[in-house]
Amino acid sequence: MKLKKIPYKTIIKTVILGIFAFLFLLPLFWMLSASLKTPVNVLDYPIEWIPKDIQWKNYARIWTNEQMPFTRVYMNSLFVAFFSLLGQLAFASMAAFAFAKLDFKGKNIVFMALLASMMIPTESTIIPCFMLFKTLGLYNHLSAIILPTWFNVSTIFMLRQFYYGLPNDLMEAAKIDGAGFFRIWGQVYLPLTKPALVSAGILGFISTWNAYLPPLIYLVDKKKYTISLGIRFWLVDDAREYNMMMAAAASAIVPMIILVIACQKYFVEGIAMAGMKE
Amino acid sequence: MKSRIKENIAAYCFLLPTIIIFLSLVLIPLLSSFVLSFTKWNFISGLKGIKFVGFDNFVKLSKDAYFISAIKNTLIYTITTVPIIIAVALGLAYILNGKIYFKKTMRLAFFIPYVCSAVAVSVVFKMLFREDGPINMVLQNVFQVENLPRWFSDGSINKIPIILFVIWTSIGYGLIIYMAALQNISSSIYEAADIDGATGWKKFIKITVPLISPTTFYLLVVRLIAVFKIFTSINVMTYSQITKYNTSVVSRIVEEAFTHYNFGYASAESFILFIIIMIITIFNFIGQKKWVHY
Repeated sequence: MKLKKIPYKTIIKTVILGIFAFLFLLPLFWMLSASLKTPVNVLDYPIEWIPKDIQWKNYARIWTNEQMPFTRVYMNSLFVAFFSLLGQLAFASMAAFAFAKLDFKGKNIVFMALLASMMIPTESTIIPCFMLFKTLGLYNHLSAIILPTWFNVSTIFMLRQFYYGLPNDLMEAAKIDGAGFFRIWGQVYLPLTKPALVSAGILGFISTWNAYLPPLIYLVDKKKYTISLGIRFWLVDDAREYNMMMAAAASAIVPMIILVIACQKYFVEGIAMAGMKE
Repeated sequence: MKSRIKENIAAYCFLLPTIIIFLSLVLIPLLSSFVLSFTKWNFISGLKGIKFVGFDNFVKLSKDAYFISAIKNTLIYTITTVPIIIAVALGLAYILNGKIYFKKTMRLAFFIPYVCSAVAVSVVFKMLFREDGPINMVLQNVFQVENLPRWFSDGSINKIPIILFVIWTSIGYGLIIYMAALQNISSSIYEAADIDGATGWKKFIKITVPLISPTTFYLLVVRLIAVFKIFTSINVMTYSQITKYNTSVVSRIVEEAFTHYNFGYASAESFILFIIIMIITIFNFIGQKKWVHY
């Protein structure tokens, strides 16, 4: 019998990288511990990582605060995320299907024009967009944040690649059965692109959930604030309630982390798929 | 013949929503922003207040110390963060793809900052780097530093918290993309190198780095553009402490447009941003041929 060799090298590597990973997350641990302290104890040294008397009520205040309850802020953000994704995925799917499966005049020109628009930063178009939304009466309206997300070149590009991978025979068979293009897309192809839709959806969710500049310039009414502005509300406050600042930050971050842990596979695949553009 | 026409019509129906939004919220705004950049216009004065001033805005911008330092700062943010992000992400991905325990847990740990709300994390960094914050406390008590750095008000160092923020939040993204790409490298190449007696480091430099170069290129473009548009972290962290030393191009645009309502001037700034991003992208695609191995 041979003794199994102890994999020292692997263990050492794991320990070193483990320490590094732990240090990497230290800012978030500090945030959590500060969010559970009284305002005067937040900056105490030595750092008390697990506070002696834990202030759960900080979170109760954040979530039920009269001026800026996080329940409302969350509802607004979920509303924005839902309709952003719905529009973005539907329109991108349709465009991707046309580019990958249909033959039409001007295909390359339209595609190149869309692709070139990747170089146009939203920040460069924000002033005319602001004027447009103001004229349309969408200022201080959540749709001003939702509408621009309905066009996303990366999503179109990623879905197009996916449609390319699906067989063309499906189209011919459906045509013989007398199905129109819209039904071929919706009933035959769309269900097959689910993995790509999930991946694109996750990326879209991260970016709408964390968006800051559009809400900052479009939303003035506190009732319409999204999560980013909800956190900012506690920053503006001059009451030096640092514990509340951290509780607000944690209230935005922790649910996202739980979501990532629960769906790690999809998050990872989503990002990896977006990177595969060869 | 008839079916061809039908297909053309169908295709444009599918593209219609995309084209409408592209035209109304991207292309026409970009052109308008170009036109506006030749005007002097305070939004509050209404449409009647628009005045054509030719190249005045651009002449003014070339002498605007604030804008020039915003461009300089933005370049510094880009140059200091992107190479580190790419190098660390590749290194971590290489190690995590090898023999190691708790692979998924560690990948998750490095990935978490990427999905966190940028505003929330900026608030945390703002606290960590306070003059009486935990980082300075550790510097004082553990490392016996006497003159504690004033991270946000000292012009020579107030880019550091922002740089660290960018690196910290971006590594996870690069890591995931590199790990996926590394899995696509055939193990037979490494086995052949083993037979030739190549060491770990040599294998990394001679095999991994060249084979992974398309991914590095992709990350480089994506990260350069992202950092060049840096705004959220600066806006939140330097709340009421924004200075010539840490402001960025987008911060300038937003302040000029939505604090002072100088839409003409801000449009000129935003058009310069567009030109810079376009140059970065085109330059990268030209340079790509020189060092990317497909």
